[in-house]
Amino acid sequence: MNPGDRVRVDHPDGHEEGTLMPSTTADHLVVKLAGGYNVGVARADADVEVVERAAREVDATEAPEEGAATSVEFDDDLPTVTLVSTGGTIASTVDYRTGAVTARFDAEDVLRAVPELAGRANYRGRVVANILSENMKPAVWQTLAETVYEEVAGGADGIVVMHGTDTMAHSATAMSLMLDVPVPIVFTGSQRSADRPSSDNVMNAVCAVEAATADHAETLVCMHAGLSDDSCALHRGTRVRKNHTSRRDAFETVGARPLGSVNYETGAVTFRRDHTPRGDDDPAVHPALETDVALFKFAPGTGVEALNRLAGHAGVVIEGTGLGHVSTELIPRVEELVESGTVVAMTSQCLEGRVCDRVYDTGRDLLDAGVVEAGDTLPSAAYVKLMWVLANADDPRTAMQRDLANELQARSVPWT
Amino acid sequence: MNADADADALDYDALGLVAGLEIHQQLDTATKLFCACPTDRRDPEEATTQFTRYLHPTRSELGEIDDAAVEESRVNREFEYLAYDTTCLVEADEEPPGRLDEEALEVGMEIAALLDAAVVDQLHLMRKIVVDGSNTTGFQRSALLARDGEIETEYGTVGVEDLMLEEESAARIEETEAGVCYGLDRLGVPLVEIGTRPDISSPAEARAAAARIGMLLRSTGTVKRGLGTIRQDVNVSIAEGARVEVKGVQDLEGIEQIVRNEALRQDALVDIAETLRERNAGVSDPVDVNDVFAETDSGVIGRTLATGGEVLAVRLGGFHGLVGQEVQPDRRLGTEFADHAKRHGAGGIFHTDELPAYGVTEAEVVALCEAVDAGERDAVVLVADDPKTAKQAIEAVATRAETAIEGVPEETRGANDDGTTRYLRPLPGAARMYPETDVPPVAPDPSEVATPELLTDRADRYADELGLDTGLAEQVAFSPRMPLFESVVENGVDPTLAASTLESTLTELRRDDVAVGALTDTHLVESLELVDDGEVPREGLDDLLRMLAADPDLTAAAAVEAANLGGVTGEEVRKEVRTVVERNEAQVREEGMDAFSALMGECMGVLRGNADGDTVSQILREEIGRLSD
Ligand SMILES: [Zn+2]
Repeated sequence: MNPGDRVRVDHPDGHEEGTLMPSTTADHLVVKLAGGYNVGVARADADVEVVERAAREVDATEAPEEGAATSVEFDDDLPTVTLVSTGGTIASTVDYRTGAVTARFDAEDVLRAVPELAGRANYRGRVVANILSENMKPAVWQTLAETVYEEVAGGADGIVVMHGTDTMAHSATAMSLMLDVPVPIVFTGSQRSADRPSSDNVMNAVCAVEAATADHAETLVCMHAGLSDDSCALHRGTRVRKNHTSRRDAFETVGARPLGSVNYETGAVTFRRDHTPRGDDDPAVHPALETDVALFKFAPGTGVEALNRLAGHAGVVIEGTGLGHVSTELIPRVEELVESGTVVAMTSQCLEGRVCDRVYDTGRDLLDAGVVEAGDTLPSAAYVKLMWVLANADDPRTAMQRDLANELQARSVPWT
Repeated sequence: MNADADADALDYDALGLVAGLEIHQQLDTATKLFCACPTDRRDPEEATTQFTRYLHPTRSELGEIDDAAVEESRVNREFEYLAYDTTCLVEADEEPPGRLDEEALEVGMEIAALLDAAVVDQLHLMRKIVVDGSNTTGFQRSALLARDGEIETEYGTVGVEDLMLEEESAARIEETEAGVCYGLDRLGVPLVEIGTRPDISSPAEARAAAARIGMLLRSTGTVKRGLGTIRQDVNVSIAEGARVEVKGVQDLEGIEQIVRNEALRQDALVDIAETLRERNAGVSDPVDVNDVFAETDSGVIGRTLATGGEVLAVRLGGFHGLVGQEVQPDRRLGTEFADHAKRHGAGGIFHTDELPAYGVTEAEVVALCEAVDAGERDAVVLVADDPKTAKQAIEAVATRAETAIEGVPEETRGANDDGTTRYLRPLPGAARMYPETDVPPVAPDPSEVATPELLTDRADRYADELGLDTGLAEQVAFSPRMPLFESVVENGVDPTLAASTLESTLTELRRDDVAVGALTDTHLVESLELVDDGEVPREGLDDLLRMLAADPDLTAAAAVEAANLGGVTGEEVRKEVRTVVERNEAQVREEGMDAFSALMGECMGVLRGNADGDTVSQILREEIGRLSD
């Protein structure tokens, strides 16, 4: 008896006939009835008879092979956009075994899933990974950066990265730092899974392609601007944060309004502020990372033992309270950490605003202990940045206090 | 057969009539099926937020796309949604659904018990693809809760195939320029769907079965009442016909009429098909006949051609006289063609069985027949519209005409107010469902659920045990105020007083234009208790309720005082006051109005608070004045 078999199940209340489903568990047989409903029948009292083997195909499409490249018809008048898939809900379908939504689409499938992309660009497809974004790792950022570099070097006029939303901001920050390319890199994904007619994947993907063919060379996140299917906001990859667990418009630019927007109906891309224009410089990639970095969030009652566990790390980003504080009791340990050679950078769990450790005694003591201020860099961005500067900058401490890729704003002008 | 014939003369057995019911009933639970929002309906004006969406149909679980879903999605429409302070992100499809509402599951199991249906071991929530915008997700969540039940009617047993627990769709508010506007207030209200087996063999039996199911549902005490809270669909076929699903029958009477008219319609279509086959009928390819109407006086056709539209025609070989043939009261085969044309956006059709008319001349008809090579035995159908609409519409007509040669098409139809039906869409297929992975399966436990008392049994009990007369007993047992009746009787109020007040008195007051809707349960309970305690005479109840309806902020006690409806009437107050004044005559004559304070205290003491102070004071002043003059 296997999923897809046509079965007859006799049980004390009667009998069911239908297709055995893969969601069957040790306790319950799950049968799809003629009307389309699934029903669970307790195995204990059930008698199963296979009426016809493999009566229906219930397995989903095979997962694409990693690294597999695909392409579709070419139109000389259109720009070329490389769709890079890392997995996530924009290109996913139901996994019957777990009942959960997992990624199992390649770039060509995305085109099939989002026919509205047709005619906006020539597409190349690259699959970098097939993972949910919570399973993202720095090593994948490196592969992603190499892939984007290859595609740009190979003539792509823009890159769209299909990414799960949970850690999209981290990956966008990593690309902002690792890549020096003259074309747009646009991250997009979906908050409501692609297996529903209401998924935001269609509009997000369409707007991302429009953003990737527009005149700029920014690394952006392109996601719903509001509840409606009318426009997507364009956020700088280093300033964006996922601020809601489930809403379509979960992504927000922190400390400023979004850099721009894309009108879904017209495809028009508009910018609110200065942005880097497209260029023709040769692309460059600097994928090295020092991954021995920890993010430490202080809360009332956090004891010294929590800091002790950070000993020996190459870098630590502290998410402090308010202007950038931890309790006085922790400061001697912070000092020891710095003296042992760890680069310790301070950010704020307020998210909005910049750290300023010159105002209160605790702050001054932290500065004396050797902590460097990351300005208004978001904790998540500082975490990725510290990995990068430790591997690429001559003086990581100074680099953490300087803007490298718009992650640290010189002026606090949230109304712009 | 002739559609004008007395429909009741139809021999349903001979026709092989088979019908089944699908009844949708909203549950009156405290919260919605997948979120903690209340199940209250709202006014569109109360909306707090508005947003717009598109829907994109997806491959279903088994990799098939449903016909009905495809047809819906051909029209790329923008949907507008109104959100309220009583709706949350779940209805907006901005948050995953919560767990299945326990109260709804419990009521569902009560209904299963009443239908004698077996509850499933494990409930699996499914997504039923619906892309008309009525669900923000693009699907309706639905689960098979129980199956294999039965109900009894005076005509025999009707099997119950299945009982589904599902979420109600969003309420359509209006058509907008871009699509449709929906309210999220109704979306997610728990709904049960009961499907009977096709055991019904006459219109009267369909009505009786629907009435029985309605009574069983109301017996739970947890179903919504009022317009739109119960919807009945009917599946009808005759032996030589086909399964037709009729949606949205309004009431019990409607069910009988719909079944009768649908049997009639299928019978008429079978006859037409036979005639067509005898005539060796056939449908030609549609062609444009713009030239025929270049100089036309027909307003519709003239305007269409003047604005860049087209007139397309299709020759229906062997159809002469049949397009105009009635298949339901006042609906012809041509009306069925028109339904299909309208579905593709056309305003309607013209056909030669009704021409010349509508400004189309005899000469134009002749030219038209010539243009499409139609002879005396043929019919011609015309559509005049913008080129795209006209093409789709005339092709839809041609397809429907081809089906007419074969017989009765399987389809979903909508109930019209006059008991006839119109084409809606193809029958939905099984492929439109796939598992709702956001909600884990639930194993229901029906052992803890008690079978509710049937309303019919309840009515008998009210008559036997509470001494109500049978008419009143039935009225109050089936009434939405039944729970209120139970609670006041529990508190000792006389059952007949309670029942007649809640049913007859309120009905009379409503007829008298009293705003009965403003009366709260508390008003009714307090008022009945005041009467029952003898604080208000029975005759005063009518006035008390009128007063509360006019000023709902009052409590019953305050209204009694204000209107002086209390146990002591004005006359009695005056009598008591006069006694007090006479007893103190000397003091009054000496002090005049200065005696007021002392006497007021005495009067209130005598009346023991049974009278309103202002009234007593006024009467006392009058009596003192009378004596001291
Ligand atoms: Zn809600």
